[in-house]
Amino acid sequence: MATTTPSRRGVPDRTSKVRSGAGAGTGTGRRRGPGLRRDRLSVQNGPGWLFSTPFLVLFLTFMAVPIIATFLMSFTEFELRNVADPFSAEFIGLENYTRLFEDEKFLTSLFNTFYFVVLGVPLTVGAGLFAAVLLNRGVGRMRTVFRVGFYAPVVTSIVAVAVVWRFVLDPADGLISGLASEVGLKSPDFLGSNVLAMPSLIVMAVWRNLGTAMVLFLAGLQGIPTEVREAARLDGAGIWQEFRSITVPLLRPTMLYVSVMTTIGFLNVFEEPFVMTEGGPDNSTLTVSLDMYKEGFSYFHMGYASSMAYVLFTIILAVTLLQLRLLKDKTK
Amino acid sequence: MQPIPRIAAATAATTALALLLSACGSGGEEQTSAKDKQTLTVWGMGEEGKHLAKIGKEFTKKHPNITVKVTPVGWDVVHQKLTAAVAAGELPDMAQMGSTMLGEFIELDALEPVDEKTFKKDDFFPAAWNGGVKDGKAYGVPWYVDTRALYYRTDLAEKAGVDKPPATWKDQMDLAKAYKDKAKTKWGTYNQPANVGAWQTWLPFLYSAGGDLLDSSGKPDLDSPESVKALEEYAAYFDQGLSRKSSPPDYDVVKDFGTGDAPMFISGPWIVQNIQDQQPQLKGKYATAPLPAGESSTSWVGGASLVSFKDSEHKAAAKEFTKYLTETKQQAAWYEMAKSLPANESAFDEPQLKNAPEQLDAFEKQLKTAKTVPPLAKWEEFSGKIDEGVARVSQKGESPKKAAAWMQKATEGLVD
Repeated sequence: MATTTPSRRGVPDRTSKVRSGAGAGTGTGRRRGPGLRRDRLSVQNGPGWLFSTPFLVLFLTFMAVPIIATFLMSFTEFELRNVADPFSAEFIGLENYTRLFEDEKFLTSLFNTFYFVVLGVPLTVGAGLFAAVLLNRGVGRMRTVFRVGFYAPVVTSIVAVAVVWRFVLDPADGLISGLASEVGLKSPDFLGSNVLAMPSLIVMAVWRNLGTAMVLFLAGLQGIPTEVREAARLDGAGIWQEFRSITVPLLRPTMLYVSVMTTIGFLNVFEEPFVMTEGGPDNSTLTVSLDMYKEGFSYFHMGYASSMAYVLFTIILAVTLLQLRLLKDKTK
Repeated sequence: MQPIPRIAAATAATTALALLLSACGSGGEEQTSAKDKQTLTVWGMGEEGKHLAKIGKEFTKKHPNITVKVTPVGWDVVHQKLTAAVAAGELPDMAQMGSTMLGEFIELDALEPVDEKTFKKDDFFPAAWNGGVKDGKAYGVPWYVDTRALYYRTDLAEKAGVDKPPATWKDQMDLAKAYKDKAKTKWGTYNQPANVGAWQTWLPFLYSAGGDLLDSSGKPDLDSPESVKALEEYAAYFDQGLSRKSSPPDYDVVKDFGTGDAPMFISGPWIVQNIQDQQPQLKGKYATAPLPAGESSTSWVGGASLVSFKDSEHKAAAKEFTKYLTETKQQAAWYEMAKSLPANESAFDEPQLKNAPEQLDAFEKQLKTAKTVPPLAKWEEFSGKIDEGVARVSQKGESPKKAAAWMQKATEGLVD
């Protein structure tokens, strides 16, 4: 998930005005009107191009070329033996794609990914919003401590996180089993059970990612003018009413951004199952990305893995467009 | 969840690199004689790589014109690094290669066949040598070998009223039960239930049942009655709660062996050293034994071979260094240094091996009958299917017969 500055949608108008002005660079060419293409490459635009070259070079080399290469690869039977001579890969049309939908394992991974998203995203967004609202008004002095506390998991290495969570979830001497045995209960083997492994990973992912959502919501909350809240309170709104009728509607742009980004991140889920379960037990935590990784890097079915990547890409695109539509800001 | 873009980028970058560099990967036509001044580049894996650098320096003392430059590569990344190097035409002159990876690189046509006049098949454990033979040609000289045998806690066995090592499958099962019921251990044994490498503990069961991975015509033979029997035996430990049904990806059985939670397991000779380092209190409280027998007591041979690459310009020097590494004296010294078993059979008569901890005896015995894992180009995938087959019986509770049939079907397309 992106941890960069929120888009303009997520922050109040004042800053967005400042920002759009600051984005000079190539923008100057546009103001002079479209029309002449030569104009863009003229001397005045030289510095702009110069400044963007590092990005463009990196982008083209490490993103654009590979994106195109994998797209082409997804129509071939690219295997280990083709690595030395990529053009020898046999073109097989849509076969990779048709095979995918007969691949029991891929369908399982697709199901697991949706399971993860459907439960994980609302929980993350909800928990993030809850934490943000509390932090925005509830706690006074300890605010920074809490913010750091909630945000720390986002920037902690997954390996360290995995070690800690294993201690928490360990059926023999973990934290939960310890607490359970205190009260005379027996804790299940969370990561070893087909049924509980995925929910356990979801809980972990929610904990890990709610920090990002929280920070974004905090920014959004601070952008809600106090006058509106005061007016509502004068009109006799309670906490709940204020939350429902003021906070939520005015947070809509932030909400859109947070849920789109969280959904994209969750659809790509890889790390959690990779470090905690390797997709097991019995493929119950195998996600599309993990399956793709295994096919591509363990077995070198690069063509097949590429087609998986494009199926996932299409799904992400569709889900994102759907979200943009459903959560569109209707107040404007 | 940030790394997906990174992974995508990495995939992509590898591909792009492959595309860019494939043009410049050129073969080494000019051969340098072993007497010329030159630098020999060698890739070694993990711990062995570090030791190899030391041996390289000693070698240079005897052959001042050859400087050996060793690059240690982690076992976990070596497969990707080597394949990327093949793609880029940037391979070293020679490398240590895990026995199960040979098939893949033979298939890629990256390895130089072994000069069988210099390196004699009969000097080495046959199963180790055969692991690098494809279509009658050898591609690797065995460097060190390992095999799987049984580790068990003798102190806990005594407590459970058992005073001799389990010799048959039934003994093994009885011991596991006795551990759990009488010695009150948490589990009776540890059979890896799933995940990468589960095949390593299951394969001894298959071979001991008289089964095989491939039949005589080279097709998978995983639905044979022997295979079903091996799965049944393996699964019985899970069904009776004698072995844990799940373990985290980096589970270390030595720890549970130390606490007594898992008082028995099957693994390789390096564990002797690990126990000495990590669980010193176990000294005298555990023993090793040859695998308990089904039809027979048969294990499989792993380890590493030394290979030189086709594109190298220093093949003569590589041969010298390989010779140096595989001769009797050096092999015995290697054992002292790295604690892995020599592939050269004559080294077992050297004093270093004679004085080795008694726990290694079982491995030496086991090696004599151990079978090869055939070099398969798609071994990674083939073994992955076995891992999944094992998981099907241990975790999904599928019947061994069904899981065996599934493995057979899943692996059919993976052999040529």
